[in-house]
Amino acid sequence: MDLAQDLTPDSVDTEVETIDWRPLDGRGELPARVAFVDGVRRVDARLTADNPQTGPVPGICGSCAAGSVIWDSAQRCSQIRDADVRRLAILGDGLRVELPAVSGLVYHSESFPSRETPALIQQLQTRMRQIEGELSTALADEGLFVISDGPIQPLAPHAVVGFIKRQLAPYLEAAQAHVMGQLAPGQRTPLFCFGARYPRYSWYLRLARVVGGHSWSGVARCECTATLPLGQARELADVSALLLPRFASAQHIDPRAPQNLVPIGALEKHLRRLLGDAALVYRSLRSAVAGLEM
Amino acid sequence: MSEQRVGRVLGLEHTTTQEFSVAIDEEAYLQLDDLVVVRSDVPGREELCTYGIVTESRAAYEGASFESDTHRIAEEGTLPGAKVRSATVAVTRVLPEIWVAPDPGGLVLRAAGPERARALYADEMERPLPIGIGRDGLPVHVDLDFFDGRKGGHMSISGVSGVATKTSFALFFLRMLTGRPELVGQGASNLRVLVFNVKGEDLLWLDRKNNHFKDNPQWAADWAALGVEPVPFPQVAFWAPPRPRSGDRLIPNTGSRMEGVHAFCWTLREFIDEGLLRFLFTDASDVRNQLNFIEERVRSQLGRCAVDVAGQPGAVVLRDPPAGGHRPGELVQSRGEELVIHDLGTLLAALELRLDPVEGEPDRKWSGRVQGGTVSAFLRRMQAAVLRLGHLVRAGESRRIDRTRAQVTVVAIQSLHELAQRFVVGALLAETFEAKEISGQRLPLSVIVLDELNKYAPREGQSPLKDMLIDIAQRGRSLGVLLVGAQQTASRVASEVMENASIRVAGRLDAAEAQRAEYGWMLPATRARARLLKPGTMVLSQPSIPVPLVVTFPFPPWATRQEEVLDDRDPFEGL
Repeated sequence: MDLAQDLTPDSVDTEVETIDWRPLDGRGELPARVAFVDGVRRVDARLTADNPQTGPVPGICGSCAAGSVIWDSAQRCSQIRDADVRRLAILGDGLRVELPAVSGLVYHSESFPSRETPALIQQLQTRMRQIEGELSTALADEGLFVISDGPIQPLAPHAVVGFIKRQLAPYLEAAQAHVMGQLAPGQRTPLFCFGARYPRYSWYLRLARVVGGHSWSGVARCECTATLPLGQARELADVSALLLPRFASAQHIDPRAPQNLVPIGALEKHLRRLLGDAALVYRSLRSAVAGLEM
Repeated sequence: MSEQRVGRVLGLEHTTTQEFSVAIDEEAYLQLDDLVVVRSDVPGREELCTYGIVTESRAAYEGASFESDTHRIAEEGTLPGAKVRSATVAVTRVLPEIWVAPDPGGLVLRAAGPERARALYADEMERPLPIGIGRDGLPVHVDLDFFDGRKGGHMSISGVSGVATKTSFALFFLRMLTGRPELVGQGASNLRVLVFNVKGEDLLWLDRKNNHFKDNPQWAADWAALGVEPVPFPQVAFWAPPRPRSGDRLIPNTGSRMEGVHAFCWTLREFIDEGLLRFLFTDASDVRNQLNFIEERVRSQLGRCAVDVAGQPGAVVLRDPPAGGHRPGELVQSRGEELVIHDLGTLLAALELRLDPVEGEPDRKWSGRVQGGTVSAFLRRMQAAVLRLGHLVRAGESRRIDRTRAQVTVVAIQSLHELAQRFVVGALLAETFEAKEISGQRLPLSVIVLDELNKYAPREGQSPLKDMLIDIAQRGRSLGVLLVGAQQTASRVASEVMENASIRVAGRLDAAEAQRAEYGWMLPATRARARLLKPGTMVLSQPSIPVPLVVTFPFPPWATRQEEVLDDRDPFEGL
């Protein structure tokens, strides 16, 4: 399953909420608890398994971590929760080799049909996205308002808002797109719907005005699954437009500001620390495979 | 209680054998001067205990990378962050002596009970004398061996005037020294203390109760913790110079208190026998002007030629001695042309006759071969001395200070001119030191308390008084002459005097002064704190503990001003 394919902006339905396209104010009550979910990954080492018949087989050792920041709107405080690390040894060409025990680190072996290293890395990414998705689902089940970094996962219908920082694909035609430039912080565009395999509702919202930026800077895109009733999707959109500007990061601090939300930036930093020191991990891996016949 | 956990050794930075940090538990705290212990495993050796004292305490938001993150954490809470507290600890001791840094992550316990004693080496001190109260309310001890001359001697107290309470601390220390004879041991019997009152009349009430003492019950509790009953000094004798121009009656020159104060002075005989002439030339410029050559000559001539006059006790005439010299104690009748010397004025007149006669040549036996100008300078100095301290030397019955009368002798010299102050200090130090030199014994101990040491032993220049103080500093500890010196700025006191003080104490210091090398015994954190110390709080360093400790000392039960005197004596007593 490749999510990227599903994101092509074909057959965008801009009339799901309204045909009257203009900026809408965020509204609603602040959720009691908001969860921000994100994950990180890192290739710890590249492996090569020797196959005398077909030649060397590429593989990677990678670590990924996911977790959440829970913001308590009454207490006005954030806490990192559920941060978890998973380490994988992915071998190409469908080869299955158990990695010898690495001191202090547990690597789960798995195989992947491709012989291309980028495809193996993509597999690591997919695993990370899966953990994120599971975590988002669990938090949504707990009743939290969940903001997940990146596109939503095609899982069961849960009230999870996917938060996409970069505007790569233009989903809107000029007739609607001009509304994006008119957004003020705390406002959103009406919902639109797209996606053939995994249909989703989406909306743009402005986090902050960016001094010296273009008309779309400071705008992020959110989405949620279209399996939700339209009314619920609308609520999610309204609350997100109200909620997210307060988490926008400051430009002088974060080059990805304002879209890189403050809790998500902190979470990423925390998760990267959990991955462990890259040099130490690499050294442990080397000493584990030293002398091993592959 | 002795196993109270406060946190773990911080693993973010290297620990050393000198210093480490503690990541403090959320439900615990550490404040400055708290004592802690960490146990570490040393491979192949027994468990290592590292003891330390908190020198700094810190708190920060963990998770904040920028200053503005403070608002993100504290106000909106959009950034996850948590308050973390940590403390820096200076190592005081490792037991057993294996110099290995404590383990990062090691459990840090508050040192209490026997652990506290070990942290402060109190378990090793044979004679631990309480010298103040730590922040935990318990006494902090000083190893007496390092004061009374066994292993070291002398105490130096520095600090700006007014808030540093140097004199108060010196007196508190004396009270502990005289109040705990069981700790002082042999030295306690016949212990004699000589205190100079150089400013105000603060020390003239040491034997009277302080009427403010009952204001705060904590003060009595503090004294109880130190093991000394909070009462004024039981045995004090007060001495003051006589009033100038008061005729034959000697009235002590004090303002607020006359009762129980004795007037003192020296006779001409004592002045000559003890060579006190040298203490008239204590100005640093006198040595530069070569006045000491002629002074030495005149002093030895006086010793040779002076004979007592029958019927005039303490007075002398100058007469060339027969071969073999005058017999000791010889009494002669004064001849008509002879000048009877009965005070400094007549001594000056007699010297003028010999050094600078109106007619004829000066007597070479007295003047040596010095230039005429030097002789004139010598006589001018003598003239000045006659004006300023002439009343301190006079014929008559001996009225010298009797240090055997009481354990503590207070000599009030605040009313005297600086020249006269130096004379009195010099004469009394010489007397004390010479007596001990003759006996050659360390016991009984003789303690001298002298404020404004920089006046008497300045770093620059030379004087007989400075030489004497250096001598006391260097040799005094083996002779049981112990100097408790106080000064505003240690950098202005002769370095030999400072270096020989085993116990160093500082109250509040001037910021620039605190940075000087004289305070190298303080840790950087202690130096920074020394600028902010409150009255009654001192930094204490002693050879047996490698880090300075901050201690407080309790309010005195004796009065320091006339207004403070509690008059609870029966007004009808004796009726």
